[in-house]
Amino acid sequence: MPARGQEKEIPVDSVIVPLKIRAALEIAGPVLYFTNKNILNLEAYVTADLDEKKSLYFGAGYSDYNYSQYNYSFLAKGSFLKAGVDFNLLRPEIAEGKYWAGLGIHYGLSRFTSETPVLNHDNYWGSVSSSLPQEKNWAHFLEVAGGFKAEVFTNFSIGWLISIRKLIYTGASKDLRPIFYPGYGEGGNTLTYGLSYFISYNIPFRKIKVAIKPEPVEEKELDEDGENQETQRRQIGRQGIGN
Amino acid sequence: MKKNLLYIILLTTAASALLLPSCTPGSCFEETNAYVKATLLLESTGKVAAPDSISLYGIGMDASTIYKKSRNVSQALIPLDASSEGCGFVIKINGVNDTISFTYSTYLHMLSKECGYTFYHTIDTPVYSTNIIDSVIVNKTTITSLSEENIRIYY
Repeated sequence: MPARGQEKEIPVDSVIVPLKIRAALEIAGPVLYFTNKNILNLEAYVTADLDEKKSLYFGAGYSDYNYSQYNYSFLAKGSFLKAGVDFNLLRPEIAEGKYWAGLGIHYGLSRFTSETPVLNHDNYWGSVSSSLPQEKNWAHFLEVAGGFKAEVFTNFSIGWLISIRKLIYTGASKDLRPIFYPGYGEGGNTLTYGLSYFISYNIPFRKIKVAIKPEPVEEKELDEDGENQETQRRQIGRQGIGN
Repeated sequence: MKKNLLYIILLTTAASALLLPSCTPGSCFEETNAYVKATLLLESTGKVAAPDSISLYGIGMDASTIYKKSRNVSQALIPLDASSEGCGFVIKINGVNDTISFTYSTYLHMLSKECGYTFYHTIDTPVYSTNIIDSVIVNKTTITSLSEENIRIYY
């Protein structure tokens, strides 16, 4: 017991949180490929927990894109890498190392080839046909991804992420910007949006003890002796009833 | 905790519905041609003025006119030949014929996924006759699909 005048010690609760390495596969890309053969997206990532809130993120993937309409056709394919940090916004006593709801900030690098095999343009003077040969390019982009992941079976999670991406550099000239960048999406937009659906296998590698804040309780008035006035009032009340 | 788990699974499942692909094709609403935008001005006042009539056609394209005795045209849109490094036009203002010729370089420009490619140009100083035309001034040598004045024709 603390001596009179000293601050009262606040009891601190704690939870044991397992830190994990998660290896995940994106499953929407291959599934959608069966409905639209013009775009194939394959993506996987690995995260490694630094603590109960932060994880390191490394992602990689491959895209093959094919677009054609009445006046041109376009092909792009290549691979991409992403790296960054994920933040779990759930409290540790809720997350328990099994649930994740948060945000990730990733830097992306895309290496790809693009080509316009045929294009046609019509005006007053007639029709002109041309093409653009295959060209290799780099693209850099930033990605902010938010979503949910839940461990539905032991060490097995599912989840989804909504991503917003901003293209920050493209090696192509401003007149001939590709309409699609692997890992980023369609190039004509200032921002692109994406929805990914993941399954992951989780490998626990360490357990840490995390202090959790106690639930806030109403402060009770204490008299000079440190006794609770409310308790005293109840006792007086009881005496009164007894008399 | 089970309640939390169910809640998260529910959100996860609901999000999967959004994976359904959109099949709506995009449409092109942009200008897809790069014209020389030529503003017509009266030499005497220096102000923009539509001639009583204007006719315009490419040299060698007599059968196909761009403007035919058109009224209220204060800015003429002149299409260049992307397959050539130069082209000429006959311009008839208020019944008087003149010719105007352009030399230029041409390059491809991607407009958008929906519209595809167009040809942009960089023009040199145009050569023109002076039957009714007083002078031609180049304001912007880059000919794009954007709505910006390129030359001024004083008549």
